[in-house]
Amino acid sequence: MREMISMVVVLTVLTAVSGGLLAAVKSGTQDKIEAQIFKFALAPAMNQIFGEVENDPGKEKFEIEHDGAKYQFYPAKLADGSKAVAFETKGKGGYGGDVGLMVGINIGNDQIVAARVTTHSETPGLGARAKDDPEFVNQFTDKPLDTNLSLKNENGSIDAISGATITSKAVTLAAIQAQDLYKKLKPEILKNIQ
Amino acid sequence: MNNNKLTVSHAPFWHDGDSLFQMNLNIMIATLPAVIFGIIQFGTPAVGVLALSLSSAMVWELIMNVISKKKITIGDLDSAVIGLLFGMMLPATSPWWLVITGTFVAVIIGKMIFGGIGANPFNPVLMGMAFLMLSWKVFFDFDAAYVNYEFNFTALAPLAALKFQGAQAVAELFPLGDLIMGKQVGAIGSTFGLGIIIGGIYLILRGYIRWEIPVSFIVGIIVTALCFSMANPDIYAGPGIHLFSGYTLIGAFFLATENSSSPSNRIPMLLYGFFAAVMIILMRNIGVYADGTILAILLLNVVNPLIDTIRPKALGKGVNNA
Amino acid sequence: MAQSLAKEFTKGLWAEIPPFRLVLGLCPVLAVTKTVENGIGMGVATTFVLVFANLLISLLRNVIPSKVRIACYIVIIATFVTIVELVMQAYTYELFLKLGIFIPLIVVNCIVLGRAEAFASKNGPALSVADGLGIGIGFTLSLAALGAVREILGAGTITIWGGNPVFEMGPAFHPFAFMVEAPGAFVALGLMLAIMNLIGSK
Repeated sequence: MREMISMVVVLTVLTAVSGGLLAAVKSGTQDKIEAQIFKFALAPAMNQIFGEVENDPGKEKFEIEHDGAKYQFYPAKLADGSKAVAFETKGKGGYGGDVGLMVGINIGNDQIVAARVTTHSETPGLGARAKDDPEFVNQFTDKPLDTNLSLKNENGSIDAISGATITSKAVTLAAIQAQDLYKKLKPEILKNIQ
Repeated sequence: MNNNKLTVSHAPFWHDGDSLFQMNLNIMIATLPAVIFGIIQFGTPAVGVLALSLSSAMVWELIMNVISKKKITIGDLDSAVIGLLFGMMLPATSPWWLVITGTFVAVIIGKMIFGGIGANPFNPVLMGMAFLMLSWKVFFDFDAAYVNYEFNFTALAPLAALKFQGAQAVAELFPLGDLIMGKQVGAIGSTFGLGIIIGGIYLILRGYIRWEIPVSFIVGIIVTALCFSMANPDIYAGPGIHLFSGYTLIGAFFLATENSSSPSNRIPMLLYGFFAAVMIILMRNIGVYADGTILAILLLNVVNPLIDTIRPKALGKGVNNA
Repeated sequence: MAQSLAKEFTKGLWAEIPPFRLVLGLCPVLAVTKTVENGIGMGVATTFVLVFANLLISLLRNVIPSKVRIACYIVIIATFVTIVELVMQAYTYELFLKLGIFIPLIVVNCIVLGRAEAFASKNGPALSVADGLGIGIGFTLSLAALGAVREILGAGTITIWGGNPVFEMGPAFHPFAFMVEAPGAFVALGLMLAIMNLIGSK
């Protein structure tokens, strides 16, 4: 009986201590981790989308909740003085899971500034070209918001990457989702930017 | 009740004078028609590749013998055969380091670390080739390899052309007679179909390889290719081009028949050859590789121990009322 | 005491160097040694876990009931592994992305549990730390060595830290791409084991 109790006590104490320790480490590193994800995944994409900006989009980011999901918006002041906002959407149905696409939209004329793939797990050399070779995502550049952004074989305006139709489809889904999101949330975005 | 009696006479037995050395020498003689033709066709670079391949294979075996403090076994010419066959499967323009790395993989990793001659589960030549093909695809692009050569025939590798242009275009480019007589682009020793067949028949007649594997192999190629080409003649070529291009014939007579990685009973041999050929055509027609011979035979090497269990019952087993 | 400390430390560097002598912990050895950098990162993470898990287990060795000792060891090891994971995510994010799933998998690395069970549960804290440190450094060195062989043959570069190669072969070198593929890991490990045995047998 004594052994039984000691077993229970030792294990309980051990797991409790370890849980507490992990919680402490987790809360201690959380900000740093978010900053790292921003720095290594989102910031390079945003840099390619906007080029030189006059503010720090990472610091001025705000969050809007829509349909139960939270979206991070990164406002940017472009070099020519116009205002833009960038946010990330996930395209469903990539070859290796969701494909993250960051879309920058100019608030002044409602045009897409540019789009870049952020996170993906597509096949290197095939689907991964969506990220590595900007030719495909450059098709989104300067498209007005009401353009049909689906693939050409679905009566849209985007040429698929040869050999990677599934990835291309996932990217266009993310872009279309970004369009919808922006249309619906524009008033709120404007409120937050002011 | 089986009344057949097997009689084994008393010792002393007569040794017929055959040896590993004899066997390997004969295999090398059998490759001569194809090798000489390759040298005439591709000139001095082909001699260089073959010589380097043969000698480096033997040197690797020597080094391994010395390191592992075993008896020096290069005298049986086994690694010489490996080196020669290996050289025959390379394009004549292969750089020196490609040849040496390949023979290292073939002799050391393919043969010596399994225990030397007769212990290798895979054909060493194919091991070496597979390693090289996965690493340096560029050098096995026969179209690019012979870009500086002047040929009096279509200077396109038949199988690559088949893959990218379809069967219709290929049928005009490569008349069957040209392919058989070696008027095609390919590895040094694999272009001259007739020569390989002559060499193979020589080996069969001398008894160094059994007829079952090459014959079932060739039947497999013909049957499978016919099935494909009947299903869709625009895309899939007929058996002729499959048989006389790429590594098909060298595979049938010299690679699939390698002693320790192929079966030794009749039915397993027939199955082994046939399915290797089926895999080749499947890889060529459906897979991404232009020529699947290497991987197909390696795959059948893996299956070999399994199909080799189809064998006659051993004497003295299965007796119930002993 | 000092002598036995040194003995426990140095045995991990040669006599019981984990992947080559004990042939333990092969999963990370094969999976992450595409570059020297990955090998060192993995080795350092494992060393951290080894040292602290050994220390804690040897301190608690008289408290832990023997019937649930494995469960307790796993809890302790998993805690340190998660700490390593979070810290790497926070400070060396790029390396964390490269090592990916193999960081959490340190929990099931048999070296860590093996040292806990075979050494730390029977020896004092000082000796256990020396043992963990020795084995950990030996593991790091092996990973780095294997990573060096594979990287230099397979990619023609040597990357120690930060993603930039410190050494590059010239353009005349054609990388033996097979070596950075998964089967190349087995071949390279096998050849290195053979060489180790060759040296050891003299």
